[in-house]
Amino acid sequence: MGETTSIKDSNKSASSSLFKRNVRKFMNNKLAVLGLVIIVVITIACVIGMIVGVDYGTPVITDMKQAPGNGHFFGTDTIGRDLFARVLVGGCYSILIGAFCAIMSSVIGAILGALAGYFGGKVDMVLIRISEIFQAFPQLVLVMMLVAIVNKRGLGNLLFIFVFTGWMTTFRMVRNEFMSLKNETYVKVCEAFGMKKSNIMFKQILPNVMSPIIVSTTTNVAFFILQEAALSFIGLGVADSTPTWGNILNAAKSVSVVTNQWWIWVFPGLAISLFVLAINFFGDGLRDVLDAKQQ
Amino acid sequence: MLKFIIKKLLMMIPMLLIISFIVYYGLQLTGIDPINFMVSPEMLSSNKENVEALRESLGLNDPLIVQYFRWLGNILHGDLGYSFDGSSIASVIAVRLPYTFELAGYSLLFSTIIGIGIGIISAVRQNGIIDYVGRVLAVLGQAVPQFLVGIILIQVFSIKLGWFPASNRVSPDATSAFADAFFHLFLPVLTLTIGMVAVLMRYARNTMLDVLNSDYIKTARSKGIPEWKVYLKHGFRNAMKPVLVILVFRIPALIGGSVVIETVFSYPGIGLTMTNAIVSGDYPVVLVTTLIIAATMLICSFMVDVFNALLDPRVRLGE
Repeated sequence: MGETTSIKDSNKSASSSLFKRNVRKFMNNKLAVLGLVIIVVITIACVIGMIVGVDYGTPVITDMKQAPGNGHFFGTDTIGRDLFARVLVGGCYSILIGAFCAIMSSVIGAILGALAGYFGGKVDMVLIRISEIFQAFPQLVLVMMLVAIVNKRGLGNLLFIFVFTGWMTTFRMVRNEFMSLKNETYVKVCEAFGMKKSNIMFKQILPNVMSPIIVSTTTNVAFFILQEAALSFIGLGVADSTPTWGNILNAAKSVSVVTNQWWIWVFPGLAISLFVLAINFFGDGLRDVLDAKQQ
Repeated sequence: MLKFIIKKLLMMIPMLLIISFIVYYGLQLTGIDPINFMVSPEMLSSNKENVEALRESLGLNDPLIVQYFRWLGNILHGDLGYSFDGSSIASVIAVRLPYTFELAGYSLLFSTIIGIGIGIISAVRQNGIIDYVGRVLAVLGQAVPQFLVGIILIQVFSIKLGWFPASNRVSPDATSAFADAFFHLFLPVLTLTIGMVAVLMRYARNTMLDVLNSDYIKTARSKGIPEWKVYLKHGFRNAMKPVLVILVFRIPALIGGSVVIETVFSYPGIGLTMTNAIVSGDYPVVLVTTLIIAATMLICSFMVDVFNALLDPRVRLGE
């Protein structure tokens, strides 16, 4: 008994020192730290804006297309709504869409990938075929098709569609990792002891695949934010009453806005680009730390 | 090799059938009734028998599966049907598909040349000025949304400078077809190229660096082969294969990107056709455009497989 606890203790201290080393390694990567800081600052600013309850929805007819300054920090949009408030609240929704879809599609991709990789055979074949059908379309086209089929524009539908179409890359990656890991000795030992299959898959093998999943989830947040922006820009995303960085930019479809009201597209555009840039830096830093092959 | 090609070709047919059925079925689920687009609302309510007779004669009361195979049969005979506004889909597609191929083709060509070029120069002159500029561009190119790049280009080149038109593909008073094409294609192609170069450049640089650090490059150098020859003959050729593979993976992103870019530049291609059809609920058009895109994608991945098999005998033998 005493021996097991000491092994556990030593495992714990080993893993905590690994964690400390990883943190130190991450802190040495200046771009990654900068990325993290930008992510945190923008997120907190948006959340505070949301909590304080800035007025993003009331159009003020007398204040249409105001340039920045004069009580409107970023100016106002084509129907007189305060752009700063819209960028803050829009940020909340954009970040929510990015994070939710990235996490959910990773979860689904990981579960299906684990099943396909571990069981192989028929399960694998069916799942691979399904993912191939999904991948016969560029993702954006697939999303547009589903938007056509669902035939309603709303935040819930959009989240569902993104998750539904976004799991394939994680699925492929996890499947391939499982295919090679399932022949490792420790898995064979667990099987010989008669451990439950679900335990072997999710408690024994999955932790070894977590690093690439975490990294790809991070970069997928950026991907989904960009995807939502593109979809909203062409007019198939979330309705205008729920602001996102993408549908604020939708105003820039009109040439007169692009020409005369630069602030309407420059500020949300800057917000998206900066946030995505920060996520990419952060993701790269995370990859350097977590990728075992580089160590 | 022939067996491999035939096998891959035959695999495409069930895929297309499944995809077309899913899309057909999905669009049926929306419950949009084509009759509403053909008959005026007063007629619909006052003249119920005639509407019902029309419905019967068009076969809209048949089971879904019968309707699907009838539609499929028509497609195979080259009859793509009619959009809800009454125009022949085939004639719309015949004009617009080549426009999209132009846009995507030129972007693929230029982004490949530029991306691989900069990538290789950055690998050879590591930490040089081109490497540095390239890295900044790659980072920015991946962070700024593609349509925003398009908007910025419109702002600079067509509004401020007035060099290029901001929209459309053909101008009514064009004197030379070539100049017309060049001016209208320049900005959309540039936008798509910038997005693609960002990824390709980074990848070409890393692959080339891997190759340059390998043993056979050291051997080649130690034999006294001139440096440029080492890069071109030993480095470049070996770095190319993975780069070409990633190029093909970019095609879906290219097609998806061109859908958005066509909207930015009001460029009358397949993507804009599809977007407008989705917005207005014109389902026959949505159906045909998605199928065209899916078929294009399948053909591309087929070509990759064949290309890979030609380059690498292991792929063929593995099958």
